[in-house]
Amino acid sequence: MEIRSAAAEGLASCHLCGKVSPVELGHCPRCHSPLHLRKPHSLERTWCFLVASIALYFPANMLPIMSVGTIGGASHDTIMSGVLNFWKKGDFLVAVIIFSASIMIPVLKMIALCWLCFAAAGKTHTSPKNLTRLYHITELVGRWSMVDVFVVSILVALVQVGALSNVLPGPAILSFAAVVILTMFAAISFDPRLLWDQHLGRDLSDTP
Amino acid sequence: MKRLAPGLSWPRIEEGPIQVACHFCDALQEAPRLHEGDAAHCCRCGEMLYQNRPRSLARATAFSSAALIFMVLVHIFPSVTVDSGSVRHELTILQAANAMLREGNPLIAVGTVFFTMVAPLVLVGGLLYVSAPLRFGIALPGAKVVTRWFQLCEPWSMLEVFLFGILIALLKLGAIGDIHLGTGMWAMTGLVICTACAVAGIDRLELWDRLEIALHKHD
Repeated sequence: MEIRSAAAEGLASCHLCGKVSPVELGHCPRCHSPLHLRKPHSLERTWCFLVASIALYFPANMLPIMSVGTIGGASHDTIMSGVLNFWKKGDFLVAVIIFSASIMIPVLKMIALCWLCFAAAGKTHTSPKNLTRLYHITELVGRWSMVDVFVVSILVALVQVGALSNVLPGPAILSFAAVVILTMFAAISFDPRLLWDQHLGRDLSDTP
Repeated sequence: MKRLAPGLSWPRIEEGPIQVACHFCDALQEAPRLHEGDAAHCCRCGEMLYQNRPRSLARATAFSSAALIFMVLVHIFPSVTVDSGSVRHELTILQAANAMLREGNPLIAVGTVFFTMVAPLVLVGGLLYVSAPLRFGIALPGAKVVTRWFQLCEPWSMLEVFLFGILIALLKLGAIGDIHLGTGMWAMTGLVICTACAVAGIDRLELWDRLEIALHKHD
């Protein structure tokens, strides 16, 4: 039996409630959200969020994310120098956790989303099954990068103007939070069905 | 726990066969009714289409009300207390946000409050508001809108990330003073677990099918 796509029959499944109804209705009869065959302007939106997040990734890594003031003076830590300090001190676990949450995951996520966008535009020939798996992973791990932002705010709250030291947030924290939020938006606006459309030799990226 | 006699499938508004389209590859296929515990997978890409989760409404109701109780505890009791000399610092989510606000980062403060208080509250509260009356076949006013909002809030609820953040912050703090873990920390752990169980309790298609029937009765 040949498997047909819903789009080929003019049917759209609602993004919110999953009910399949004719796309001409405009709105889902069950939950009243707008019906689309594919997420509208999926690739353009994903690219926009992606480019913005890549641009903000540089200040996030080059500016200090937190400064620690001690009696001897203040030290400014970027994300990478924080990781290196922990590694030198012998706290390998913390160093690895922060490195993977703040540097590795965002970079891998951006690369993965670029790859997915290229594949959805028909520029590469990877099997859509593997690409769907890649999409699942990017969706799953994206929010964990926020951990560094929370760590800084927890440290600021716990070590205010203590007797020993005080911790202040640096300018990088805002751009880093923006990177995480923008990559999450990029993943949400990407439509994995475009991968299969390419695989089957159809282009539905401009459909309503 | 697996029951010996498998439960029935959930009711649908149309008696005839209905169709689903896979969310990942858009393959159109018939949607069979499932016994409790069974799942339907896409015949082209193998992703899960929907699942009949055992006693879904009861689970969603129970876990989300437990989560709401934990949520109150999280905001009343401090998660971590640090004694350094004569100074004592307590940490709740609101204090973490407040510290950011005072240090001139209002956006981060707003983000922290949204990701760890507002989004989890909308998610858990909305699920309770919809699924508790649905057990009796009733849809409260605005149930559709509430369902829409809590589904949209799901990816933005980051309480488990915050909990993980506390653990890393504790590893970083190390030698600064005496650290005590408080009630808030255990309440937060309970909240994270209960939220995950509440969301995993009910399938999205099932929720909407049941909602549709409850709303239909009103008309």
